[in-house]
Amino acid sequence: MTEKIIEVKNLKKYFDTPKGKLHAVDGVNFSIEKGKTLGLVGESGCGKSTTGRVILRLLEATDGEIIYKGQDIRKLDANQMRELRKEMQIIFQDPFSSLDPRMTVSEIIEEPIKLNKLIANKEQRFERVLELMDLVGLSRRLMNTYPHELDGGRRQRIGIARALALNTQFIICDEPVSALDVSIQAQILNLMKDLQKKLGLTYVFITHDLSVVNHFSDDIAVMYLGKLIEKASSEELFDNPIHPYTKALLSAIPRPTVDNKVEKIILKGEITSPINPENNCRFANRCNFTEDICRQKEPQLEEVSPGHFVACHLFKK
Amino acid sequence: MSTKVDAIKADEINKTKKRSQSADVWKRLKKSKAAMIGLLIIVIFVCMAVFAPLIADYDTEVIKMNIPERLQPPSSEHFFGTNEFGRDIFYSIVYGTRISLFVGVISVGIALSIGGFLGAIAGYYGGKLDNAIMRVLDVLLAIPAILLAITIVSALGSSIINLMIAVGISNIPGFARVVRAAILSVKDQEYIEAAKAIGAKDHTIILKHVLPNSMAPIIVYATLKVATAIMATASLSFIGLGVQPPTPEWGSMLASGRQYMRDQMYIVLFPGLAIVLAVLSLNLIGDGLRDALDPKLK
Amino acid sequence: MSESLLKIEDLVIHFETDDGTVEAVNGINMQIDKGRTLGLVGETGAGKTTTALSLLKLVASPPGVIKFGRIELDGVDVMETSEKDMEKLRGNIVSMIFQDPMTALNPVITVGDQIAEAIMIHQKVSTQEAEEKAKEMLEIVGIPGGRSGEYPHQFSGGMKQRVVIAIALSCSPKLLIADEPTTALDVTIQAQVLELMKELKIKYQMAMLLITHDLGVVAEVCDDVAIMYAGRIVEQGSLHEIFKSTKHPYTEGLFNSIPNIEDRRAELKPIRGLMSDPYNLPKGCTFCDRCDYAMAICQTEKPKRIDFSDTHFTECHLYSKDKDFKIEMCKKED
Repeated sequence: MTEKIIEVKNLKKYFDTPKGKLHAVDGVNFSIEKGKTLGLVGESGCGKSTTGRVILRLLEATDGEIIYKGQDIRKLDANQMRELRKEMQIIFQDPFSSLDPRMTVSEIIEEPIKLNKLIANKEQRFERVLELMDLVGLSRRLMNTYPHELDGGRRQRIGIARALALNTQFIICDEPVSALDVSIQAQILNLMKDLQKKLGLTYVFITHDLSVVNHFSDDIAVMYLGKLIEKASSEELFDNPIHPYTKALLSAIPRPTVDNKVEKIILKGEITSPINPENNCRFANRCNFTEDICRQKEPQLEEVSPGHFVACHLFKK
Repeated sequence: MSTKVDAIKADEINKTKKRSQSADVWKRLKKSKAAMIGLLIIVIFVCMAVFAPLIADYDTEVIKMNIPERLQPPSSEHFFGTNEFGRDIFYSIVYGTRISLFVGVISVGIALSIGGFLGAIAGYYGGKLDNAIMRVLDVLLAIPAILLAITIVSALGSSIINLMIAVGISNIPGFARVVRAAILSVKDQEYIEAAKAIGAKDHTIILKHVLPNSMAPIIVYATLKVATAIMATASLSFIGLGVQPPTPEWGSMLASGRQYMRDQMYIVLFPGLAIVLAVLSLNLIGDGLRDALDPKLK
Repeated sequence: MSESLLKIEDLVIHFETDDGTVEAVNGINMQIDKGRTLGLVGETGAGKTTTALSLLKLVASPPGVIKFGRIELDGVDVMETSEKDMEKLRGNIVSMIFQDPMTALNPVITVGDQIAEAIMIHQKVSTQEAEEKAKEMLEIVGIPGGRSGEYPHQFSGGMKQRVVIAIALSCSPKLLIADEPTTALDVTIQAQVLELMKELKIKYQMAMLLITHDLGVVAEVCDDVAIMYAGRIVEQGSLHEIFKSTKHPYTEGLFNSIPNIEDRRAELKPIRGLMSDPYNLPKGCTFCDRCDYAMAICQTEKPKRIDFSDTHFTECHLYSKDKDFKIEMCKKED
């Protein structure tokens, strides 16, 4: 199936601050095929979470197109958007704050169904909630418990069940396992992978953890200060990273092994400000290979080999 | 997988009672002795207010003057003595409870609904609306509450209803602030964003998610404000702007009994004590609630 | 023979709450020698932070109670030390840095003053000398000394953590306790901070207790590793021993839960189930319910300690009869 379920064109999100315009997301382009996962990777402040929220219109984009199943959803009005929300959902990072503490497990999972009047009959709705709980591996006995009585892993499962309650096809996963212990992370990742296979879901997997994204994604896009600086299939990105930032990011991952110590690329300096950025490569001040042109002109994303895109002056085709 | 093991029937689960969060709050509240004492006192007051007609007949015991028995000290016949008109002080206090509690609760109700509504929309929508509402309320806040109340009562005349309106209006800015702050603290939580993501409309979000989770500080504030409302009622009546005698009100009883304070101290002692106890008990409950309602999310 | 800077014997800590008693730490033994770094690894609820806090008598009491055990810091018996004397130790002989740099610094005091404060508590120097020293410390952690007059909010997360490290090292402690020092930081910043810690470790000849759940970080910085589960140390050894000849099934489970960078196709094998309820620990081995190698005896009897070398030991019934038993992960190594 090579049907592109979602396509993002020149997406921009600027925030007004007293000091000027904050370019959180600055011209991002990508597309995802149905049933696949795009890993959106970067460190804090790169704009990945903002991108996720803008795609779902939880935040309104400043510019650009978001084309879901052929239509630009930015042009939809509130009611039309609400209809679409039955298919486009989000799983949040924090399993503590993303669940209403005053609602029980079943109430939380039931809410989207009730709100959207998907199933009018109360008993049938109840059955559906139980079905969803089974699907995500939550014991039925937990129906009437409150989130604060459960651990992070179980809470995250509630979040996943809630995201799946409607006819979900596309899910933005915003650091879904970052707040969980390592062994629970593995459980949730396996669950998400199973669900993807079973239900044909398309994911945007936002994370800063490269080891996880490698395992989970088909393609990976790396962001830095609001810009997409490299994009390739997971294998290609890990085997053959081109952009100096990507290389530094990969080398920085602490490897749990005592063999083959990888020489770490330590970046110098600090990340520049996303407010009123100039027309230069935003990574220039920290790059070990900076040349004059890097400080004068912003590099564009170009295809350097089939399917592998990089935004860097030094590695043009 | 787990489906076979957990094949518990749907209706069986429904029967397991959802452990209400109010039950948890009550359990925590019970731990505070002070709060329990406060609660006991208030319950006694409420009983006095509710059962007042059973305790004494209003017209014969409270209103009717009884000059031969004036200025009697406390005795088995008149528990708290009689005032300068021969009216029984104890029964007056019992009926006075009605007024104090009534005005206290209703005025807070007025302030909460109007102030709360304004604060809620200011907090939830923010921006220019927030600014506009809060600046107008700031003007109201700049006027000393008691002066405001005096002005309103002077303009409208002294009656119980006007008393409620006066005290209520002077409390509106305070409630707006508290509700706004509570809303702000909840508004940016991720579960609010989650509600938007599943397609909930604004009013649903405010009523179903934001308000229930921001109730705690509002409840505590309201409890304490009933106490100050009782004080305000007594104060206004004391200076003659509230309830007029012979209608028994603790504050006006203090005013009229002032001249007899030296020799017939009981005339002012008991009304004064009633005011103190009512206010104190509400404060104790408010403090206890503050601790009991502290959301223990983790 | 190197002096041991930290020695813990049979430490037991309970939390007595209204809802029951939490058996947080259940008898651990630990030793850190001068200049060595011990990584204390475990998940949430294992008892690592409680252990660390107890070293400096910082466990909230009530409800925490040190029921049993002996803690020796640089030769001093912590249990017998008064609060006043503990204050002389803290920040001076032993320093601690916590996980969240965002909240560890006072937002209304400049970073220079916060470092100087630490110095002035323990050393008899003038304010000016302390401020000079503070600037030096900033330089040492890679921040320009001229920034000492700035406030925490003017620094990024990584830099804040460096300031925290500067405060911790300002009095040249012999032992640094670092509780998840890089967990809240971005990966590239984490790399910088870990590099810094390695340099400082050598420069100050400092011993370090590094608490983390990240085995990658352990491999970067630690000499020895102790794996903690439900309040007990289930395996301990040198870095090489733990990574190359893993013994305990829980340790194996931790390794299997981590996505392998080198082999993306490898399936993640999470440890099934959840950590036992600390209000109600099981009678036998606490890991029994989640263990793929569980035997009947694991349900009823607590495993005994089995030594494989001077430094490597584990607590597991698998090895009580056959010391050469190999778990899956080690079979692959051969």
